[in-house]
Amino acid sequence: MTKTKTATITATMTCVRLALKSGYGLASHLRAPLIAFVSIFLLCAANLPARAANPSGDVLLRALKEEMERSKAQLKMDNVAAPYYIEYRVTELDAFEASAIFGALRSQQRGSGRFLRVVVRIGDYKQDSYYGSGEGTVDMVPLDDDVFAIRHRVWLATDRAYKAAGEALSAKQAALKQMKVDQPVDDFAQATAVQSIEPLARLSTADFTPWLRLIEESSGLYRSDPLLQHFESALRFEVVNHYFVNSEGTVACSGSSQYTILVAGSTQAADGMLLQRSHQDEARDLAGLPAREKFLQTTAHMLETLKQLREAPVVEEEYRGPILFSNDAASSVVTELIQPNLLGKKPKLGENGRTTGPWSSSYKMRVLPDFINVVDDPALTTLAGQPLFGDYKLDDEGVKAQRVPLVEKGQLVSYLIGREPIRDFAVSNGHGRASATGGPEPHASNLILESADPRPDAELRKKLIELAKQRNLPYGMYVETLGPGLELRLLYRVYTSDGHQELVRGAVFGDLDVRSLRNELVAAGGAPAIESHLESVPFSVASPALLFDELQIKRTPASKLGLPEYAPPPLSDSAAAVVK
Amino acid sequence: MNSRKAVLRLRFLVLFLPVILLTLILLTQSAPAHARTSDAKNAKAKKDQKSSSAAAAAGPGEAQLLAIFEKELHRGQTELSKLDPAPYFVSYNITDSDSLAVIGTQGGILTSTHDRERVADVSMRIGKPDLDNTHERDRNSGITSGALPLENDSDAIARTLWHLTYEEYRKASKAYTNVKTKTAVRAKDEDESPDFSVEKPSSYIDTAAPPAMPDQKAWEDLARRYSAAFRRYQIQESLVYIYGGNDRSYLITTEGTKIVTTDAIFRVMIEGELLADDGMRLERAETFQYSDPSKLPAQAEVDAAVKKIADDLNALRAAPLAEPFSGPALLSGRAAAVFFHEVLGHRVEGQRQKGREEGQTFTKKVNEKILPDFLSVTDDPTLRTLGGTELSGYYRYDDEGMPAERVEVVKDGVLKNFLMGRMPVKNFGSSNGHGRAQAGKMPVGRQGNLIVTSSNTVPDAQLRARFIADIKKQGKPYGLYFEDIEGGFTLTTRDLPQAFQVLPVMVWRVYADGRPDELVRGVDIVGTPLTTLTQIEATGDTTSVFNGICGAESGSVPVSAAAPMILFSDMEVQKRKYGDTRPPILPPPPGADQPVAVKNGANEKGGAQ
Repeated sequence: MTKTKTATITATMTCVRLALKSGYGLASHLRAPLIAFVSIFLLCAANLPARAANPSGDVLLRALKEEMERSKAQLKMDNVAAPYYIEYRVTELDAFEASAIFGALRSQQRGSGRFLRVVVRIGDYKQDSYYGSGEGTVDMVPLDDDVFAIRHRVWLATDRAYKAAGEALSAKQAALKQMKVDQPVDDFAQATAVQSIEPLARLSTADFTPWLRLIEESSGLYRSDPLLQHFESALRFEVVNHYFVNSEGTVACSGSSQYTILVAGSTQAADGMLLQRSHQDEARDLAGLPAREKFLQTTAHMLETLKQLREAPVVEEEYRGPILFSNDAASSVVTELIQPNLLGKKPKLGENGRTTGPWSSSYKMRVLPDFINVVDDPALTTLAGQPLFGDYKLDDEGVKAQRVPLVEKGQLVSYLIGREPIRDFAVSNGHGRASATGGPEPHASNLILESADPRPDAELRKKLIELAKQRNLPYGMYVETLGPGLELRLLYRVYTSDGHQELVRGAVFGDLDVRSLRNELVAAGGAPAIESHLESVPFSVASPALLFDELQIKRTPASKLGLPEYAPPPLSDSAAAVVK
Repeated sequence: MNSRKAVLRLRFLVLFLPVILLTLILLTQSAPAHARTSDAKNAKAKKDQKSSSAAAAAGPGEAQLLAIFEKELHRGQTELSKLDPAPYFVSYNITDSDSLAVIGTQGGILTSTHDRERVADVSMRIGKPDLDNTHERDRNSGITSGALPLENDSDAIARTLWHLTYEEYRKASKAYTNVKTKTAVRAKDEDESPDFSVEKPSSYIDTAAPPAMPDQKAWEDLARRYSAAFRRYQIQESLVYIYGGNDRSYLITTEGTKIVTTDAIFRVMIEGELLADDGMRLERAETFQYSDPSKLPAQAEVDAAVKKIADDLNALRAAPLAEPFSGPALLSGRAAAVFFHEVLGHRVEGQRQKGREEGQTFTKKVNEKILPDFLSVTDDPTLRTLGGTELSGYYRYDDEGMPAERVEVVKDGVLKNFLMGRMPVKNFGSSNGHGRAQAGKMPVGRQGNLIVTSSNTVPDAQLRARFIADIKKQGKPYGLYFEDIEGGFTLTTRDLPQAFQVLPVMVWRVYADGRPDELVRGVDIVGTPLTTLTQIEATGDTTSVFNGICGAESGSVPVSAAAPMILFSDMEVQKRKYGDTRPPILPPPPGADQPVAVKNGANEKGGAQ
């Protein structure tokens, strides 16, 4: 069970989770709508009795290998070079999703699909066609154990990918003629062939009805606070199986599972300010999810904080001073501000940077305080007794996953990278990861920030008060929980007089950025909290509590909505439900 | 039935082009189409199932559900009437949909989904019927949609409806302020008819039980077997899409309307595609559609349809490219039906007669001759079947709760009426039951079943002889016969030419010198409506039906069109634009003769009878 994590109310459990990459090449009008249709309906499906167990992966792998052999041997157009590399990747999804609002089931869906991505490269490792429409062709393949039916789709997708590669290479070469690149890097890194057959994942065949009742029950707790405008609970149980075959001889398959349950709600303060809270629990199997009592308690607590937020005073216009982030809030900060800068993405064609982002020229420079280390480790499945979700053995380019120290004593020592080299990093460190229909890109797995000098929570709190006193401030600030985009959800004043806390609302950060991480971070805790992201490419971020010397918090400039024009319908029970 | 069918999912199979007010009809063939044949295989009319044992459709649970909706509707109206501005009209239109969709290709299932959902459309009008928030461009302020709980929990449903209602109030009152400002500031419109017609409320509860939803596993096997039929042929892309949907809709309004209807639609769409050597993409599709799932086609019928698709595509691949041409043209009944849908049907939709952006081709031509005097056109959604074929555009009440009406659009060549929803236009102040929309959109006047009849018919064979005579008379080397078309679109806005384009698939050169007909490819029919319609010379005597889905501003709605074969003294065609992708480099993989993995029956060889 993981710590409280906030998430947007509507976004977390959407059906449409797969981003479609454009650049199919000239394709049938059927294909894009079909994929869109299926992506949207992947999780908008059967509430009927559980479907029969999925076919085994053997037939799918065999079909991919057979078509790969044929393509390698025969695929050649006049006037276009034969491919030097071909890759097939199939992502098989099977998911069950349900949502409840105000105590009643609103939706319930079960669906599965197999998404195929074909990349054909022409040219060579130094310069190839991986550009524009040459970056891959997407399609679907049958769920059935039917070699011919599967090969038929793979055949057509490979054909499109090869033709797209032909055009893409010309387009790329033409574009490059207009540019001068200082230190060219190869387009594609060499890698050794790997055989890696791991067990596939299957969705639990348990009866999910108790879970449906649970999300109804927890969303029904709104009765204790009829002023709530929105209160919903949702679950998503899913397995993802990966299949990978390339022309270099790599054959791989593996599977993973994710079970999540969440509750989210919103209310408005008397002045119209919108207040939102949410909480999500994640586990690798059903048994890891919270028991009913625990989940209801968490829900009740969340409701309580919404009430408190409604009554809380609005933050002052500006605060400048020390701020302590709980480990929960700190993991959000690391996710938003540090994680993206560690990705060694290739810059746009012709650009001369090493990579993109604020740390692209900071290789070997100090980017964080010298007591901070950051490591990315795809081998871990738990940390301090809590589950991690970023683990894998082989990335989505067939390269063995590696543990990568990224920041040592505050210095940036590496980037996460796939098979697309960047300056000074010619070889993949196994971090080329992709969503079902997207192309691989450098991506975190389990990103862990640690302090070389961890301080206990009580000490951090004392230090917060000390720093506030030094500035003659009546209080310091404590961030307990953040929402997406570093939205402040639970923020407290901590009074220097006696250390008591006061909840405030309506605040936003003024200057929380990479610079303040480098210069204002003065202490860190020991116990980590984990924030996991399970949509698209799963990864986890762990961080202890973080104490900053001076940050700015200000009153939100956002306009407020009016309150509902009329009262909600009276509840049919005369007494509000008692919430334990 | 009401006209709303939850065709949201089918939207993805219709090509939507980005130009405003562009419409496309994905034309599908109902098999077989000719009205004259009383073919036992055609869908029989759905019998009125008034048996009292049909409890599923209208039981106590449903009465309770209606009560919840009505209570919250009236509570909202009462509360909002205390505000300024206050709504003068509110409606809730709630659809419970149960749908099944399976897609197969080459004997394997790509996806199989069963979906149940409940969606509410809250519609609100603020101001007065003469001028309200839905005026002109602000029309979409009249509707807000959202998902409702599936459980009949009164608190949860009422609270969700409450939320949607005040959201809609905010949208509508903001739009109303805009509308008042714009009306004060801008020049007056030519047409100052009201925004909302005055009508009597309706009440109707459909007690017929919907057909049972088919077994998902059985349909998966069906999709495997149907799609495996393509294994015999060298067709590149192919898909079989099987869709079934049962919708129960509840419409209640503050005017007292209460309509509860059921819609059931079950269809099989089979599509094949080939790339010609020069890169032209060739497509053919066949559709079977019924309101009763037990009528879905037998394997033999599907095999025959797949064979026709494959044969046609191969013939097209070998056919020469057509040249731009104008001269005599003969349209098959189905082709003519689509033609009328695009060229005439869309231009007699009520809302197109109003508004500064509309071309208003026919607005001022009421009581004038727009067609030859032997032609009449009606749009009749009350018709369930025509000559034994089920009509896709059948409904009893439209999406504004108005009873469907048979409308005489053109009588003996003279334009008489427009297809009206509750948005009046000059001289047409009332709805005639044609206000239709997809869930989530504001209804506008749309077609239902567009039927073209002729009082001057010639047997089809004789019509062809006349066609050849015309070709000779005009001194043309050939005329064109349009056997089948895949769709079309129409531009009706003022800032684009008043054109239409109908997309033929099977087109033949018919030679005056007795040579056999020659298939050609790459042709689009073009023209301007006012002229083209007057060039109709004669018609055949057999009516063909076309069932399809029409997309326009108020979304996708099921429609049909019916017409006899039509001879045009002059028709213009242009070359179709096409891509330059080469056909696949490698042949298909081996193994087409492998047995298809059918789960619930014995293994069959791919494509076996």
